[in-house]
Amino acid sequence: MLSPQTAVFAVSDIPLAIVLPVIAIGLSLMWMLPRGGRAPSRLAKVLPLTLVWGSLFSLIGFGRFAVGEVLFGVFATAALLAGICMITSRNSAYSALWFAVVTLSVCGLFLLRSAPFLSAATVIVYAGAIIVTFLFVLMLAQQEGTAGYDATSSNPLLTSVFGMVLFGSLIVGITSWPKEAISVASAGPIETPAAEQTANVKGDAPLAAAPPAQTHRYFKSDETALANAWSRHPEGEVGSLHGLGRSLFGDYLFAVEFAGTLLLVACIGAIAMAPRRPQGTL
Amino acid sequence: MVELDKYLIVGAALFVLGAIGFLTRRNLIVMMLSAEMMLHGVGLNLVAFNYEHGHNQGQSFTIMILTVAACEAGLALVLILALYKRRKTLDVDVWGELGEAKPLCDVRLERRSATAEPAEEEETADPRLTPAGRLPRFNKQETATRV
Repeated sequence: MLSPQTAVFAVSDIPLAIVLPVIAIGLSLMWMLPRGGRAPSRLAKVLPLTLVWGSLFSLIGFGRFAVGEVLFGVFATAALLAGICMITSRNSAYSALWFAVVTLSVCGLFLLRSAPFLSAATVIVYAGAIIVTFLFVLMLAQQEGTAGYDATSSNPLLTSVFGMVLFGSLIVGITSWPKEAISVASAGPIETPAAEQTANVKGDAPLAAAPPAQTHRYFKSDETALANAWSRHPEGEVGSLHGLGRSLFGDYLFAVEFAGTLLLVACIGAIAMAPRRPQGTL
Repeated sequence: MVELDKYLIVGAALFVLGAIGFLTRRNLIVMMLSAEMMLHGVGLNLVAFNYEHGHNQGQSFTIMILTVAACEAGLALVLILALYKRRKTLDVDVWGELGEAKPLCDVRLERRSATAEPAEEEETADPRLTPAGRLPRFNKQETATRV
């Protein structure tokens, strides 16, 4: 493993445990991308998929046999394999359906990171609206099924090399990131005084009284990052509707208004740009 | 391995897969789907960091990303339909040349010289900039006296 203190990395510092899986993933992707000719058989797809799965999980680590780890493994496997199937499928309707699988798996990962509202919103927006719209456009535009341009891809070799370099550098960056510098060695949640707790539960505490300072699992309490003292939440409020609503409509009220305006502008633009027939015909 | 790293790696893998799909595939709709998958990778990163920090900023950001993704999908699909109406294909290589097929002044010269054919009319149905109108004729002597 890389030492976090070294500021400059040599290429020889990158361990083989990162290089080999990344190269295996790139080669399998290059093999699976459509290259014209007949579609490969099912067996010829299962083999590189297995290779990619093994390589990815050798990078991630298989973990212990606990419920959280097993769920993470299931969702991560589904997301990554469905993603590969999406970009290598020769039928664009199947691509859209694989993307739905990716979305649902990512929502499972959101749930594991205590984001229940976000995962429900993602399912509604992506699987409920975006995929359906894409399928409608496919239905309008590509009625004859698989087209010739779906069976070939542009520059699979160059793009796979690009992907390998990008993914490898991301992995090196993630794994050699010096976490010791910012992690708190033994950070337990600080007990909040009972009076403040009751005030928080009632919700009628004066705004001048700052809520109790929090410490987090790996990071120091980042009070400087949060300008508004009220956006520091008690431990149980991460991702809950209460906490998320307070963050959205407290810290990010202008951003929420701006997002609403953005939706309106996009709606007007879509109506203005939509191709229409001469008047009087349907 | 730290719990955070696993999610970061999955997010990075989703991002890279989306980038590869965006660059290699030739179908406009699959390219759009790949771009959405890149957004999923970014959102997963934000949510993982959100959990580690113990506040709700990352999830608020992800909701903003969700909004922008919805807008982007709507506008992109309208543009794809408009492009499809012109060339009757979803192939992106058809649109390799972004310039107009024929400069506007040439089209005007042709119209002036010969009677316009109906096929030519259909070709000029592209969205174009509004023509600026006829060049005004100056009376040289008049402008000279004015100045």
